[in-house]
Amino acid sequence: MSSEFGERGNGSKTKKRQDPQASNSSGPSKLEVLQKTFLAPFNHKKTDSTRILSDLAPVIMTPRMMNSAATVSSRPRASVSGSSSKMDFATLGRAPLRLGFGPSHRATSRDLQIVEATDELLGAEVPEPEGVASSVSLLRGFEATIPSADKSRTRRRQMRHVETPKLGLKKLGMSARGLMVEDEDHESRSVASEEDIVVVGAKTSRRKGRESLSTAKQLGKEELTRQQEEILRDKENLHVRRSLIHSEIDEIVNKIAVLDGIRTKLEEDLLKLQEDELELDDELQGVKERMEFEQSTTKAATAHPLHLLPTTRRRKGPAFLPSEHEELPPGTLESHTSPITALDFSEPYGTLVSASQEDAQPLVWDLFSGTEIGRLRGHTGGVKSVQVEDHICLTGGEDGNVRVWDLRKVDDEAWGEGEMVNLSDVAEEAEDDNGELVERPNGIRNGESDGGEAEKDGPCLRILDGHTKAVTALYFEDECLVTGASDKTLRQWDMTTGQCVMTMDILWAISHPPTSAPGGAPPNTLFPGAVAAAGNFAVPAPPAADGSWDMYTDFVGGVQFWGYGLVSGSGDGAVRMWDMRTGQAHRTLHGHTGPITCLQFDEIHIASGSLDKTLRIWDLRTGGIFETIKYDHAVTALQFDSRKIVAAAGENGIKIYNRTSMQQSALATNGHTRPVEKLRYMDRYLVTGGRDSTVKIWSL
Amino acid sequence: MPTELPYAADAEVSLTYDELEVLRLQYQRELAQAHVTVQTKFNYAWGLVKSPMHEDQVEGVRLLQEIYRAEPTRRRECLYYLALGHYKMSNYEEAKRFNALLLEKEPANLQARSLLQLIDKAVTKEGYIGMVLAGGVAALGTLLVAGIIRRASR
Repeated sequence: MSSEFGERGNGSKTKKRQDPQASNSSGPSKLEVLQKTFLAPFNHKKTDSTRILSDLAPVIMTPRMMNSAATVSSRPRASVSGSSSKMDFATLGRAPLRLGFGPSHRATSRDLQIVEATDELLGAEVPEPEGVASSVSLLRGFEATIPSADKSRTRRRQMRHVETPKLGLKKLGMSARGLMVEDEDHESRSVASEEDIVVVGAKTSRRKGRESLSTAKQLGKEELTRQQEEILRDKENLHVRRSLIHSEIDEIVNKIAVLDGIRTKLEEDLLKLQEDELELDDELQGVKERMEFEQSTTKAATAHPLHLLPTTRRRKGPAFLPSEHEELPPGTLESHTSPITALDFSEPYGTLVSASQEDAQPLVWDLFSGTEIGRLRGHTGGVKSVQVEDHICLTGGEDGNVRVWDLRKVDDEAWGEGEMVNLSDVAEEAEDDNGELVERPNGIRNGESDGGEAEKDGPCLRILDGHTKAVTALYFEDECLVTGASDKTLRQWDMTTGQCVMTMDILWAISHPPTSAPGGAPPNTLFPGAVAAAGNFAVPAPPAADGSWDMYTDFVGGVQFWGYGLVSGSGDGAVRMWDMRTGQAHRTLHGHTGPITCLQFDEIHIASGSLDKTLRIWDLRTGGIFETIKYDHAVTALQFDSRKIVAAAGENGIKIYNRTSMQQSALATNGHTRPVEKLRYMDRYLVTGGRDSTVKIWSL
Repeated sequence: MPTELPYAADAEVSLTYDELEVLRLQYQRELAQAHVTVQTKFNYAWGLVKSPMHEDQVEGVRLLQEIYRAEPTRRRECLYYLALGHYKMSNYEEAKRFNALLLEKEPANLQARSLLQLIDKAVTKEGYIGMVLAGGVAALGTLLVAGIIRRASR
């Protein structure tokens, strides 16, 4: 049709460029010039739509094309030379043929589709064949798989069936099952006389085979040789088909691997979404609590003496967006000269208090700028426990004292050698100054006039003294404080009065197991009560990853309470649950085989870390072990929430256990150079202190 | 691999209806299972190209094009089959282009060289017929014009 005619014109030009082989050496001929003139009208580019249109209505198109001839003929034409006169002649000739006869068939849209795809396909890269493409050609595969590939076998079987008298029963059965053994086959027939040879042509094998069915009882050598060849060929075909199937299987395996990868990734995404949701839930709860609190405070409108928010921030997490500090660059605070023994901070980018071994003056840091604000001077021995809530900081020292600090008053310049005054004076003064401290002057510990000291205008608000040995764990919420000390007692304090409300003797609890367990606690081999009573508690801690070890002397590794429920973890390896109304331990959780170094609980679980290199999650209600996570070294600190457990386990890296995905990971990049000792996180803001005397800040 | 290509004569030998039907069934079965192996597709496509029916040839070439698109490692081979398919459909221009590309990659390919000759021959043949036709038409036209002129001049 006319359209094709036009295309041919186009195509011929392309061909001239592409196919120099087709050209012979003769230069531009008259014929060529003639052809150019002839075909010029049809050389112009046509869009596919016009092509289809022209295909539908060639009669309309043709005159139009003719009309356009005049304008288009002036167009500069490419490659006048270098084309073959023979080809041009032929192309020239085909035009009238096409115009005159038209193709023998009706050109369909499919035809056009195919032809149009040519350019695209030719543009595609043709790489070297590899893999199965290089070993098995498509044609080979075709020959091996087409139905006629089985023909020869069918024919052979038919021939064999004729010979049944010559075959034994066994062979007959075998042949019926297609199990003919070729060697035997050959042998049995080679004795055939030459006269009975049936000459079978290669091309008409099937027909001849049938013929042999009626005429011949014996097959000639030639036939048998041919059969052998056929069988070899069939075997080869089978081989080809096998390799084809193998390649397909390989391909599918690859695809499955890829899909598996995608699935894993999607599952990870799903997990992440789940975690995000949990986080949002927590956040929402935090906001709700905050709202309730603010409503209640506006109603009450009374000043709390120490102005502590009665939120459960530490347990539930603060109500601010996690994304707020995602861009935090992990930082390092280096001022300590000995391993960190305790640390806590008020909030992300807030104030950090960190204490180190044999240093009586914990450091106060501004986390926003990463600078040192000052020191808390007052303790006479190292500080073993720290808790910070807003501007209130409590420290428990080896001197057996607990000090209450106001971090707002910490200023390195303003005070240094400040004189010591009686706390009652401070209380009065403070009351005079801003009315913030409501304090009964005589509310301090009974009678010890020189014990309750604080610096005038200094940050130390109060000294709580009563323990006879190092205070190794403390936990306070609102006005209530519980401390645990190496004198093997727990004390509950009222922070408004500074008085010790109750003393809970762990030794007594050890020797008097809860009545609820009539059988009594299993014999405690680790720390028999008598030995404990006799002297100081000291257990060699298992060496950490760097081989270093200390004597572990902190009898109470951790305390925490909620309402009247108190949980303590102590050097005898037991987790005890106390009732703060009665001062009695009502349940003891046995399982750890080493002193407990850290402890935390939430509504469902208690998590405890121990020198026995395990971290155990207990079910708060049943008291059973919910999960045991084993580490290579002693656990020295932990904190957990519903999604993760962050632990310091005697290694340089901080261990993070994802409770949703049950995956263990470690923060070690740019981390501590010696094992991590203490850690505390809020939300995604993690602060760790290590034996390398540095404090590091992480974004989880 | 390069030598394992059929000569053009092979493409003229069509399969029996039954054979083609088997290939078609196999292809359609795999199509229904949403996983068509390259070999099955090619078998059907090659069977179609060998068919004397133009519609079948078109379909065959279409399938070959699909293979060409989807399987880069088979492209080299498919070039030849595409060329052959187009040649059978008398799309000499396309046949020539595919063949030329193959020859560019494998100048020594015997099958491709022979196909090139065949295409050239076919094109020339068609050209001659066309020329004769055109000549005839021209002669007829001349006669007519001459007749008209003569009539007009009378």
